[in-house]
Amino acid sequence: MSEVIKTDVLVIGAGPSGLATAISIARKAKAAGDEVPRVVVLDKGRSLGSHVLSGAIVDPSGFTGLLTDEEIEKIPCDAKCVKESFRFISSEKKSSKIPWVPPMMSSEGYPIVSLTKLVAYLGGIASKEGIEIYTGYAVTSLIEEDGRIVGARTGEKGLDKDGKKKSNYLPSEEIRAKVVVLAEGGAGILTEKLINEKNLKGVRPQTYAVGIKELIDVPAGTQTAGETMHTFGYPSDMGTYGGGFVYHVSETQVMVGYVYALDYRKAEKDPYRMFRQFKATAAVASHIKDGKSVAYGAKVIPEGGYYAVPKTYYPGCIIVGDGAGLLDSLRIKGVHISLQSGQAAATAILAELKDGKGLETYPELLKQTSGWKEMKRVRNVRASFSKGMPVGIMAAGLAWMTFGAFPFWRVGGCDEPDHEGLKKFDENAYKKEMASDVEASPVQPDRLTDVFMSGTNHEENQPCHIKIKNISKCAECKEKYGAPCMRFCPAEAYRYEEGNMQIDFSNCLHCKTCRIKCPMENIEWTFPQGGDGPRYTRM
Amino acid sequence: MHVVVCIKQVPDTTNVRINPKTNTLMREGVESIINPFDEYALEEGLKVKDSLGARLTVVTMGPPQATVILREALARGADDAVLVSSRAFGGADTLATSYTISMAIRKACGGKTPDLVLFGKQAIDGDTAQVGPGVSEFLDVPLVTYVQALRLTADGAYEVDSQMDDGLHVVQGKLPAVMTVVKEASTPRFASLAGWMKAAKAPITVLDEKAIEADPIRIGLKGSPTKVVTIFPPPVKGGGEKVDARENAADGVKAIVEFLEKKGLVK
Repeated sequence: MSEVIKTDVLVIGAGPSGLATAISIARKAKAAGDEVPRVVVLDKGRSLGSHVLSGAIVDPSGFTGLLTDEEIEKIPCDAKCVKESFRFISSEKKSSKIPWVPPMMSSEGYPIVSLTKLVAYLGGIASKEGIEIYTGYAVTSLIEEDGRIVGARTGEKGLDKDGKKKSNYLPSEEIRAKVVVLAEGGAGILTEKLINEKNLKGVRPQTYAVGIKELIDVPAGTQTAGETMHTFGYPSDMGTYGGGFVYHVSETQVMVGYVYALDYRKAEKDPYRMFRQFKATAAVASHIKDGKSVAYGAKVIPEGGYYAVPKTYYPGCIIVGDGAGLLDSLRIKGVHISLQSGQAAATAILAELKDGKGLETYPELLKQTSGWKEMKRVRNVRASFSKGMPVGIMAAGLAWMTFGAFPFWRVGGCDEPDHEGLKKFDENAYKKEMASDVEASPVQPDRLTDVFMSGTNHEENQPCHIKIKNISKCAECKEKYGAPCMRFCPAEAYRYEEGNMQIDFSNCLHCKTCRIKCPMENIEWTFPQGGDGPRYTRM
Repeated sequence: MHVVVCIKQVPDTTNVRINPKTNTLMREGVESIINPFDEYALEEGLKVKDSLGARLTVVTMGPPQATVILREALARGADDAVLVSSRAFGGADTLATSYTISMAIRKACGGKTPDLVLFGKQAIDGDTAQVGPGVSEFLDVPLVTYVQALRLTADGAYEVDSQMDDGLHVVQGKLPAVMTVVKEASTPRFASLAGWMKAAKAPITVLDEKAIEADPIRIGLKGSPTKVVTIFPPPVKGGGEKVDARENAADGVKAIVEFLEKKGLVK
């Protein structure tokens, strides 16, 4: 039996919210003249930032109060958003500029960053503050005693495909903490388990979108650093919330992404194919001309907004960042709210460590952040979009003009979880989708080339971390929905052939789309060996 | 018994790109890792520590960032770590590096020669496989290369399986020795979280050219007779013939057999 590790605070997940919590604890303790408590941050990625992914144009309000002016100045960023446009794409060839957008949508002057690099930067700051960060360790379960979360356990390493111990077997380790912070990001496994088991659910179930992104090198002298474009419309259908982005992160690099809501109804849809179609539109093509895709990744975004936020407190434990669904669902921006939630969490945690109570004040502190107020203002937007794009756009405008007062009732929609409501597979529609394939080119690699560029890797001789609960349900699903996992997985991890489900788990990008969208709720995503998974370096 | 394991920090070449203009590595977004072959050497060292109670010292030469890999080795169970680091060592070729490391090993062992020095068979960035043998020359200690199994007793008698082109050589001898280790030796262990926590706080000895009492003309660029004239990537090989057997495996097999027959490789 290995020794029990004891700490004051255990933060699960070294993304923006987890690191903001840690940094803020250290800085607030120092400012109050108190000793800095022991804070341990664990992350399942191989190194800092290897499992984070975002656009990302970051609203700098999240840095206020967390970083010094000098540190904000030094945030790794090659360009600030200097020119921003919003376009409606109607077809492969046609698109039109939206003549007016609410000023609250504007990102001009905001830094365009790689979230991976930002997280590595925040990690450096945290380390200097005495925070202990360890990567390559998945936390696979929480420990509860007498109705309070008192710690967690790391996953075992060195199991073979049958679950037997290999020569390098490393047992699970136990960490005891006075406070556990869940900072797992969107669709966090432990977070969702806690929310479900302790009935911490929000007013509405969380609704997600899958975001698929590439980094594309473009020739020097052809593009403008800092130029950005947000799009909606084609290739998304009018009934589904979807859109794309093009960010010129430097003169020679472009971040291109496509976001598609997972409450989509048409089983034939393939978000990755739509991402390719998006890149092939005239609106996007000019931005990536003569380019070459060099990095790839995918991740789910919690889009439910205000009404989908769960209770963020349970004795001994709080939820920060994307795991709590803290995202402005109009702008699809969450990094700043994550950072703010970390700062709010730090105040509650320090009170708890001092007096043995105070953690329960976190939800209230969260409500005082500007990010929360933003979420409240746009609280009806996402649900309106579930009634189709035109309704959604109108609702977004009205919400802005009336500071969120209109609509004053809670708009219906988004009331069912994403896996429900999928329509029957339509063979003809599918054939039509497949007929319009995009030609391969350096900016249009195929899915497996993209998966390779994500750097994802899993030790092959370990138990498959994607578990099918009941294989016979897969047959039923194939019949009814045409096995949509083969299309919604952005990493081609699923192949269903002749009654057999072949799972190439090594391809997995840890995006969790499958767990969310499988219409039979038949996929269980468990943790692979810590350190495995994507190795994003510039996402 | 005192075992020294020499490790090197290298770019993770699984994700590396070459700058087409300068033919040098593009390091942006490339992680640094322990040279994979050195991980096997470290594991052999740890096994000796576990079975015979040896003291295990890890040594690396590189910039201050290389402390990361030393901490990883400490987390897995090494007892102490030495970073050989100074601007004066910059630009060293394998000769100057071998000299520098051998001087550092002597220094770290209080002027004595350790019982066993382990290296990975080669580093994945330079692929020269010269520094291990070079150190054995400078330390004046026998060398066994390409070790895939090490059997060692407390009195220092060893028998190793050495992987050579003409087969497995079984080499017997008595320590001291320098050995270079291949992949087949073992599966490297994982560092435990508790191990990392201790390693994060462990002191690391830093040795510069003065500390190792190096001869200034034998280190760094000055001590390196190797001159890089030009760097070029190997020519790109054309794609092989592809047999698509997804529809019909039997036809695929037939096509491959015919191909091999044409080449005279099967009858």
